[in-house]
Amino acid sequence: MELVKALTEKHPAAGPDGAALAASSGPARFWKVMKSQKYLYFMSMPFVIWVFVFSYMPLWGWTMAFQDFKAGKTFGEQKWVGFKHFQELFTDERFYLVLRNTLAMSLMGLIVGFVVPILFAVLLNEVKGRLFKRTVQTISYLPHFVSWVVVAGIVTKMLSTDSGAVNNLLMWLHITDEPIQFMAKGNWFWSIVTASDLWKELGWSAIIYLAAIAGIDPELYEASRVDGANRLRQMWHITLPGIRTTISVLLIMSIGHLISIGFEKQFLLGNNLVKDYSEVLDLYALNYGLSLARFSFGTAIGIFNSVVSIFLLFLANGVLKKVTKESIM
Amino acid sequence: MKMLKMRQTRATAVLVLAGVLAVTAGCSGSNNNGAGNSNVAATSNTQGEAANADAGKQDLKPVTFSFFGADASPNWNKMQDEVGKVITEKTGVTIKAEYAVSGGATDKISLMAASGQYPDMVFAKGDVDKLVDAGALIDLTDLIDKYAPNLKKVYGKYMQRLKYSKEDTSIYVLPSNDSIDQTYFDAGGGFELQQRVLKELGYPQIRTLEDYENALKTYYAKHPTTDGKPTIPLTLDTDDWRIMITGTNPAFLATGLPDDGEYYINPDTYEASFHIRRPEEKEYFRWLNKMFNEGLLDKEAFVQKSDQYKSKIASGRVLGLIDQEWGYGDAENAIKSKDEGAYTYGHFPVTISADVKDHSFAPTGFMAGYGIAITKDCKDPVRAIQFLDWMASDEGQVLRNWGIEGKQYNVENGIRVIPADIQKQKIEDNTNFTKNTGIGLYFVFGPHYGDGVKDPSGSYYTTNFPDQIVAGYTNAEKETLKAYGATTWKDLFPKETEFKERPYGAAWNIPAPSDSDYNVIFKKAEDIIWKKIPEAVLAKPADFDKVYDSMLKQLDDVNLGKIEKIYTQAVKDRVEQWSAK
Repeated sequence: MELVKALTEKHPAAGPDGAALAASSGPARFWKVMKSQKYLYFMSMPFVIWVFVFSYMPLWGWTMAFQDFKAGKTFGEQKWVGFKHFQELFTDERFYLVLRNTLAMSLMGLIVGFVVPILFAVLLNEVKGRLFKRTVQTISYLPHFVSWVVVAGIVTKMLSTDSGAVNNLLMWLHITDEPIQFMAKGNWFWSIVTASDLWKELGWSAIIYLAAIAGIDPELYEASRVDGANRLRQMWHITLPGIRTTISVLLIMSIGHLISIGFEKQFLLGNNLVKDYSEVLDLYALNYGLSLARFSFGTAIGIFNSVVSIFLLFLANGVLKKVTKESIM
Repeated sequence: MKMLKMRQTRATAVLVLAGVLAVTAGCSGSNNNGAGNSNVAATSNTQGEAANADAGKQDLKPVTFSFFGADASPNWNKMQDEVGKVITEKTGVTIKAEYAVSGGATDKISLMAASGQYPDMVFAKGDVDKLVDAGALIDLTDLIDKYAPNLKKVYGKYMQRLKYSKEDTSIYVLPSNDSIDQTYFDAGGGFELQQRVLKELGYPQIRTLEDYENALKTYYAKHPTTDGKPTIPLTLDTDDWRIMITGTNPAFLATGLPDDGEYYINPDTYEASFHIRRPEEKEYFRWLNKMFNEGLLDKEAFVQKSDQYKSKIASGRVLGLIDQEWGYGDAENAIKSKDEGAYTYGHFPVTISADVKDHSFAPTGFMAGYGIAITKDCKDPVRAIQFLDWMASDEGQVLRNWGIEGKQYNVENGIRVIPADIQKQKIEDNTNFTKNTGIGLYFVFGPHYGDGVKDPSGSYYTTNFPDQIVAGYTNAEKETLKAYGATTWKDLFPKETEFKERPYGAAWNIPAPSDSDYNVIFKKAEDIIWKKIPEAVLAKPADFDKVYDSMLKQLDDVNLGKIEKIYTQAVKDRVEQWSAK
């Protein structure tokens, strides 16, 4: 709905009544379009309201970042302090540490969590046994529905030195003689998070690619077979180009989300020993903002987060537009 | 396309501005005025208390109060338990409660303050300062004066301690976390050792870290496995805030300090400084470091989550703990019946050397501070205070502690006793017992006398008294205690009378000063300690000093001195306020 609206707004000529409307101009044209498409507008209204209420109204709260916000006082009574909280944020060493962790983990997540599902989807597509294919697909996306609390429990148990499965395996294979303290080593933490994220989301992320692959015209494969292309060639020249659009759109979106990776994983898997590697921006906002009732400081972090996200989104969009001619805006 | 951009903004904005969005957080309960059944309570109004003159006139129209509690209460039964029904009948009040899931409710209370929407009543523990700063709590001074004879009676000489601070003498909180005039009959802290260890070693003296270590070492050498799995000589639970209970608090206990939270308060000058900076405590951690390097301390002590810790204890493989009973009790219950209780734990006042005294029982007097408060959103503060007043009446306290006469207790020769079958149910199936009867669920709703205080009939107010405690011990525990010539674990600890009462109570329940730097520096210091202590303990013995000293250095760097000064003032103010008459 949004899509139709956006399209017709930008290019009224492309709308259903385009030909008739192209001649008129200005506000008159707008109203005419609106009238002729009133049902479309009407149907999109709930979504516009929804977006407004949940995405734009809260923006008012950004004013907090420029005040010494005290709960219980009215807006007029708050003290305005300009960029004080931003200064504090940008001079805190810890901020750069958590920013590093956030970016490191999201980049690792982006690379792994992006490449592997595509590979998985492409390979799964090559499997001919229908039953096997379905089974693998179902099993692989089931973990998506397991909450992080449970996943974190499983991961810590698996990696435990006290008869954890992974250590037992490594010792049985004589790769190591002493159980490895996976959870106590900061430099392991990012990999553990990335790996558990991959396990949890692999199947789920692959679904959209599988759907895109299903949409490729089978005649293309037939034609290539006639031309003598083997399976690998088909993957390279037909399957992957066939889902290029999907890949680009998802890539741009993931890049836009780079900095806001949530904190459940880090919160649940982390411990005091690996804190310097596990604390991410959202966790920092929680610990040093909300928990200390420093609402203004927390909001400042949030604004930083949003600004960087929007910047990254445009950057990714622009770059991909140049390189692949694909974009979402 | 536009949608995408909006979603982008939404995801980030919503997360961070949760404070603004969470307008539903307070969630005031709807007032289900079923006017139909108000006469039930009115006719059966036999408020026994003669002293309670006002109670007779009390309005018993059904009213629902919403409530938020900062301590988890997993057995809360929406007042459908037996005690709850009687409370509703006698007061007309139904509590619609919400509890913190576990640990802290700091975030939830911060959200409340930010959104400005509060439940009618709140039990905020240490975060009460946030609500007071936001102007969320009403001053109860006049209400108590007018409507609450029982509250006045129960708090008695401690009324002075109810005032919020030296500057703000309003009463915001009715302290209900601590019990009044409590006598402790049993010890639940100190250093723990399994009964089987003590028995096999012939009940050696366990007084110093060295004794404790030797017991673990000797037994572990003989029994490296338990039921085919590796025995764990000593483990800790350092998951989040639990690091204070089993990690840093034992450091001051073992070096002869009472519990003043993160601070050491100089008893003469009231000067506050972080206890972790004392050189004695470094020696305690050096000992833990040694334990780790000798393989006596669980490798996972600083990594495991609470559930892993508990599952180890429930397996019976852990010989020693440094914890409080409430921290591991449910895990211990799981293995209580095995071998007559050989896998349960005894408590010992272990300190760094024999000339240092364990201060577990250093008296604090009544600890005001944590308790129940009425918010400005409360529809009917008068009914609320009358409700809390009734809960504090003798009738209310007995109901909350003992249950209903003829059901959960009988009166024999004028004294309340719990029938054997009820007692059995209470010990063996405590969860269902609590859910059905409601005994223990209403602890924070109003003040209560402590263990050892008797009501006019000569019965104890609470169900914890020496006979009852000993009856709850396993055979193995009784055997151990007998060997040490004691009846309860507490007998092994230095007595209250050996200490002087601290005029400020205990520093951990002095509200955090509302200086904006204070909280930030405190949090930074906490982060440093929570990270560096595990690092120091797990270091090679040669590196211990280096790591520990770098922690001290970092603490200096975050300007700890500044908040120590602020806190010193807070302690001094508290002393002045509490000693005023």
